[in-house]
Amino acid sequence: MIYCIAILLIVLVSFPLQEFVPVFAWAFFSRLMLVHTVFYCAALTVPFPVMLGFALMTGFLWDARYHLPLQSEADATALTSAEIPFGFTIFTFALLGSIVQGVRPLFRKGRWELPVFLVGFSVGLGLLLEYVVINFNRGDFRLVPEFWWKILMTSLYSALISPFLLLWFALIARRFDYRLRVENPHRRHTYDGDAF
Amino acid sequence: MSRLNIILLIVFAALLIWITLFSPDQIARIQSGTMTFFRPFIKASDRADRGFESVNETPMTPSEMRSKIEELERDRGRLQLEVLQLDEILFENNQLREALQYRQRSPLRLRPARVMSRKPVNWYNTLVIDKGSADGVSVDSPVIVPVDEDGAGLIGKVSEVLGSHEAVVLLLTDEMCQVSARLENSQEQGILSGQRGSLRSLPPLKLRYLSKEAETRVGQRVVTSGTGGVFPPDLILGEVTSARVGVIDAEATVKPLVNFRELLDVFVVMRQEEAVPPPASDDQASEIPPGSASSAPDAAEPEAAP
Repeated sequence: MIYCIAILLIVLVSFPLQEFVPVFAWAFFSRLMLVHTVFYCAALTVPFPVMLGFALMTGFLWDARYHLPLQSEADATALTSAEIPFGFTIFTFALLGSIVQGVRPLFRKGRWELPVFLVGFSVGLGLLLEYVVINFNRGDFRLVPEFWWKILMTSLYSALISPFLLLWFALIARRFDYRLRVENPHRRHTYDGDAF
Repeated sequence: MSRLNIILLIVFAALLIWITLFSPDQIARIQSGTMTFFRPFIKASDRADRGFESVNETPMTPSEMRSKIEELERDRGRLQLEVLQLDEILFENNQLREALQYRQRSPLRLRPARVMSRKPVNWYNTLVIDKGSADGVSVDSPVIVPVDEDGAGLIGKVSEVLGSHEAVVLLLTDEMCQVSARLENSQEQGILSGQRGSLRSLPPLKLRYLSKEAETRVGQRVVTSGTGGVFPPDLILGEVTSARVGVIDAEATVKPLVNFRELLDVFVVMRQEEAVPPPASDDQASEIPPGSASSAPDAAEPEAAP
């Protein structure tokens, strides 16, 4: 439980830190999506209900900071007042967080390759979903090479930083006796990762 | 899946639906509250960015500095002369207005603003300025910068007022910022906008819906037409780089004349009907000299495609 609170604090701290993350104009305005990366890494280490709670809080805060009320056609037939509705990030966090949770057993066995890849992939997929919604609202689908590069670079930054985050989370888990790995019979733990 | 997980999933879905049904006013209040918390971080981040940029600048050699000083002194002399000339022109213009009993047309009222953050939202080309509802800034207010001695260049419009001292500007390079434009020295009009997914520093703009007979030449300037009521007329948008005639209409590719990457100080064009709060000493809404853009927009309707 203390571990989850510690991770929650890290997720919260990632918001102000995100403001300081530079945007790389040379890489098609891509940047490290720190909040997303922290969230997906956290999703690997916490039980499903906690992940849902994190998705709700993180998505809400993200939309509260970055939501733009832009609608391509300001008419009465529009379902929402914005192209990307407020709360959409909560949905993507919950959806992709659930996918990330799918490889949690692998992560708990100490295999980090696929989870790290999936963290990067989820960040890219989240961006792709946003772009698809925008295109859907504007009535046509346009794909340009820069778009793919932006998604690829953003995913790459997340995948590169996620092992360090996971390592940090593992240290925190050890500090609070929260069992991340299932293969360690010699160590006693107060909390099991699945027994929240 | 355990029963607890199913119950939590249902609760989560209910909360998500509730959140998506928030009214625009509720969302605005939430965002305004959030911005209060984030404001210091955004400002600090921008300061850090600028500090980093200045570190990257190459230092000048003494001879370069000497020539720079000489150049600046020459500029100062020229500018002093221009100020005197402008004062004379302004005086003469005011006299002519009175003499000819022109119908009172309100000049543009400008509110200077500083760019707080130049980091765009994922798929929108935006920036955040340090003026908001308390300064009389409202949604759709045009944002301009001086381009050269010819006048002002449009950089976009306010898309969201985040708080009392923050607003989001949707840049001209975004597809959603559509401007009724016209070719300079011509009556040809079209709609100018950015392109979706265009993620370069200075992406080309598209001027669409020109007539097939439109005579476009490379280097020809594109300015706002003033139709639609959002943007005042004659604001500079860019220069034509190429043109293409289609089956039913023509379109031109336009290179923006404003460097969107180096924006620091901008001006928000205040609408006439907006109650402008009492200006501070160095931060007041100022009148633009007559000649650069003469009339204020008269309605807040969105730009309409022809």
